[in-house]
Amino acid sequence: MTISFRVNGHPHEVDAKRGGDKLIDFLHEDLNLTGTKFCCGIGICRACTVSVKKGRNEAEEPVISCSTALATLDGTSITTVEGVSNGDQDLHPIQTEFLKNFAFQCGYCTPGFVMAAKILLDQLETSKVSKDQLDGMIEEAIGTHICRCTGYVRYFEAVRKTALDVLAAKEGGQG
Amino acid sequence: MSTKLKHFQTAILSRRRFLETASGAVALTVLSPSGMGQAQTADGTVPFTTETPGVATQRIDGLKKVTGQKVFARDHTFKDMKDWKGKPHYAMYLRALTTEKVFKGIDRRYLPPAAKKARIILGNELNASQRSPQIAIRRDLLVDERIEEEAKDQPKTRGFDRPYAVVFDLIVQPGNVPDFLGQAVALLIFDDLAEYREASRAMAFQDDDFQKYGDAAPPKDPVVFNPKTTYVKYDHGGVSFDYANANPYSYPLEADSYKALIADALDARPDLLRHDFACDMRAMDPMFMEPESGLAWHDVENKTLNLVLGTQSPDGDFSDIVSMYRSSDAPFKLDAVVLTTCYPGGGFGGRDGSPFSLMLALASAFTDGNPVQLMYDRYEQFRVGLKRHATDLTGQVAIAPDMKLQNIEMNMRFDGGGRKNLSPYVASLAALCAGGSYKTPMANIYAEAVHSENISGGSQRGFGGPQAFFAIETALDDVAAGQGWDPVALRRANLIGEGDTTVTGGPVQQELRLREMLDRAEAHPMWADREALRDEYAARGLTYGTGLAMSLQAYGTSGDGMVAAITMDETGKLTVKSDAVDMGNGSATTLGVVIGPILGANAVDVEMGDYTLFADTELTTRDKLGTRWDNPDWTSKGVGSSSACLTGLHQVHVVQQTALALLEGSIMPAARILWGMPDLQSSATAWVDGALVLRDGGADPLPQDVLAGAVFENGLPRGTLGHAYFQAIWAEADYDTPGGQIHLALDGLSFYMPGADKPTRVVRQNAFGPAAWTRRFARYVWAPCVNVVGLTVDRGTGAVQVENVLSVLNAGRVHVPALVSGQSQGGVAMAISYALHEDLPPGMAGPANGTWNLDRYHVARAADVPLNTGFRPDARSQELIILDETPADKGAGRGIAEAVMCSVAPAISNALHDAVGVRYSSLPITPEKILKGLRA
Ligand code: FES
Ligand code: FES
Repeated sequence: MTISFRVNGHPHEVDAKRGGDKLIDFLHEDLNLTGTKFCCGIGICRACTVSVKKGRNEAEEPVISCSTALATLDGTSITTVEGVSNGDQDLHPIQTEFLKNFAFQCGYCTPGFVMAAKILLDQLETSKVSKDQLDGMIEEAIGTHICRCTGYVRYFEAVRKTALDVLAAKEGGQG
Repeated sequence: MSTKLKHFQTAILSRRRFLETASGAVALTVLSPSGMGQAQTADGTVPFTTETPGVATQRIDGLKKVTGQKVFARDHTFKDMKDWKGKPHYAMYLRALTTEKVFKGIDRRYLPPAAKKARIILGNELNASQRSPQIAIRRDLLVDERIEEEAKDQPKTRGFDRPYAVVFDLIVQPGNVPDFLGQAVALLIFDDLAEYREASRAMAFQDDDFQKYGDAAPPKDPVVFNPKTTYVKYDHGGVSFDYANANPYSYPLEADSYKALIADALDARPDLLRHDFACDMRAMDPMFMEPESGLAWHDVENKTLNLVLGTQSPDGDFSDIVSMYRSSDAPFKLDAVVLTTCYPGGGFGGRDGSPFSLMLALASAFTDGNPVQLMYDRYEQFRVGLKRHATDLTGQVAIAPDMKLQNIEMNMRFDGGGRKNLSPYVASLAALCAGGSYKTPMANIYAEAVHSENISGGSQRGFGGPQAFFAIETALDDVAAGQGWDPVALRRANLIGEGDTTVTGGPVQQELRLREMLDRAEAHPMWADREALRDEYAARGLTYGTGLAMSLQAYGTSGDGMVAAITMDETGKLTVKSDAVDMGNGSATTLGVVIGPILGANAVDVEMGDYTLFADTELTTRDKLGTRWDNPDWTSKGVGSSSACLTGLHQVHVVQQTALALLEGSIMPAARILWGMPDLQSSATAWVDGALVLRDGGADPLPQDVLAGAVFENGLPRGTLGHAYFQAIWAEADYDTPGGQIHLALDGLSFYMPGADKPTRVVRQNAFGPAAWTRRFARYVWAPCVNVVGLTVDRGTGAVQVENVLSVLNAGRVHVPALVSGQSQGGVAMAISYALHEDLPPGMAGPANGTWNLDRYHVARAADVPLNTGFRPDARSQELIILDETPADKGAGRGIAEAVMCSVAPAISNALHDAVGVRYSSLPITPEKILKGLRA
């Protein structure tokens, strides 16, 4: 028996015996993908957030990789921070905005914020959202992420700005 | 591989230095993961630099961090260490559960199967030099001469990092009583990752099962870590006495008699208001996000220890590690240490002198030449990571009817926990901060750090300031409230300023602008309209209060040495190297851009944590003849630990002076050759669009690459290495350069010549530097801040919500505005967090029991912090007002990383007092305490 899933587009199979292994350990140790960060290990800080798509037509969801066993990921498609850009190139707009706004300091929490914000922004692209719903959605998306360095101000500014850009682009497209 | 990332490539071999030990020299090589501080991306674009030299558009380390590349120690796996040989091993320490009973060993029967296969090492299997290494005296401690005094009368057989009469083993020996909770009692080495993981899971929270303890041991005598700090100041009736000006040898005795005189002086004035105060705070975890982690490999064949670490103090850590292997009885000899330094995932002081490095190096000795990884999880980080000290403070302020402060008395007791670390020096700075932002003719201040069974305290953000400012600022508010005085007026009546002296008697020789800052805060609607705000909130059924507090945080230590190098490649691209470490505070970015206005472009690469640089200066701190600055080889201090507060002034200074040396000593001579103008002065030139131009025109602009070409062609220096020393003033000297003699505020300068790796020293002339005795001022430069906090209290639940924060900050020159406001925002959040939420009980009720994580230790979330910038009465907001620079700043910045944070907590307590009329003087002010106060 095996568990199969994709990570950043690449297929992986692991023996079902390893079903209890945590996703973050698999990413770090098997794939040497260390962009996903370990902090609390118990599902509180969300530094370890990755994006998981359960099925072809399902939306991406934030998943805390420190508390997610491989067994629960069969058939899914996982995106880590390494899969968001092409190394230094082709940054996602939220990465660019985090950079421009000096949103992070030590940067250890950053991949978690990138993944959560990216999922929110993708969601904005595809669903109907009004401007006044935005603050609540942002709070929902990144409000429980812990960052010890920044006081969150610049993260929230960056996500709001990028989200407003998405909404504006949609309006522009429709109009 | 599924990653699109380029992999961590061979590290860049960059720097080398030697440490002399009893058994010969140990060479140190410092590596950085490739491209770590590089602004340049793979396709050669440099998004970090802009058209405008001196301006940063993003963090220089930002791209790597935002794309999840390998920059942290924890990112590094064995796979990344291409040159390492052997089978990966994994280390785990078991931690002491009591300090009251004899440790008897590990009962293997009760270990889970996976752990039974591990090699188990107990304290008695360690060689003496490993068990209790003679830790070097840290060069960067605060009051150097006291350290010297202490070192003198400390028997040679004891390491520095422990109190008298207590010799701590890195691993407790069976038969001994652990010295503190969380001290290691056993080391487990696994050669299989799956087994290590399985054992970790099975053993978590089960320590009781397999650690054996025997009889109760008699309690140990209490121990105070030396040095203790006493500042007695007496300036009364024409008699003057203080720490700074007294004879250092007779000071302790004289201080006692002046204490009596203070008491007499106060007793003689029955009109004085004498207000007693007491406050306390719990220990706090720095909770940097990356739990400590590292890799080590003892390469037996080459007698080399290879390490991957993310530390704030690579220099001290290296010396400590070498101390393990330098005595004659060491189990093996080291010829070299190769240290890969990574960006720390947060620091806040918690990685300054952290024992983690030692524990990793120790593990590497038990893997038979195989590489080993030690990675704390969050539970273990809570259990053993350095903490901010729990502190008790008591005292009295004496104030005359005209509001003038007459005396500040304060007693501060810092719970230092097990290891000494920097605890007494933190207490010492707290003693200075006890004077707050005020002048007082008399002071009687005592601060000590005591050894206890608790988790060790260390150099946390604020370094004693958070405790001392809380005490004085809440005390003054109580005085004002008691007398019906305006709290701003009371503060204004006592502000310290240029020409006044601190509680040490040391002069303030810097423009502070406290009055202006208070005026700004007082006029701000958050303060001016506070009664109207209270009414508005009341109309919504909410209890609102406003509080104000000041802080005058010193930055730097009692003497700071720092070093920097700037090199140019043949295309004119610039690289900055610094001994400092960037904990996230942005020093790499700042140092990369502050050369822009001088050299016409920002750096494309900044290498941090390069502490082999000092050795390259060829300066020494030995001064046998006592000739000090007259000895051209001498400086007062090499380099110190990294603190975020050292960037704004200190690190920027050395980088800019070193840049100036490159301009005058190399670029100007190249320009003279190219333009054929032998008498050209730099003042007649300017940088425009990355090219050197004549201010008055008349010659073709010289782009960077052309200038660089001429530099290399003519054998001019391709780089400069500078060392600076600050202690109230900068050391200065003249230097002969290819561009003529120049005067620099540096005490050491070397040139990198084309084709040569090692720099060539320029012997300084006409040096002038700080006098030794000014060290007793303790500190020389200050970052003042006024905070106003508006908050609401839920009388039913005791919950407190910070609604608004105003910070008025004197930051001097602001080099990178986004970094300064970012530090301020981070400081506000951290202060709200420790003032209201972060609660670490001592003993085995707290994190020492190994069950603490973020589920029970609440660190501020976004919802706890006002997120809007700029005051808005209708939304939670934080506003930062940074005073405009004045000519007195002379273009220098101030280290503000701690300044804003320090006065937020007292402003919160003062706001609570304003809201509900209760003084909350015990941090954190939890809902339970609020409710208890309301009931009382
Ligand atoms: S590491 Fe904290 S939630 Fe996963
Ligand atoms: S930037 Fe350091 S934890 Fe968020």
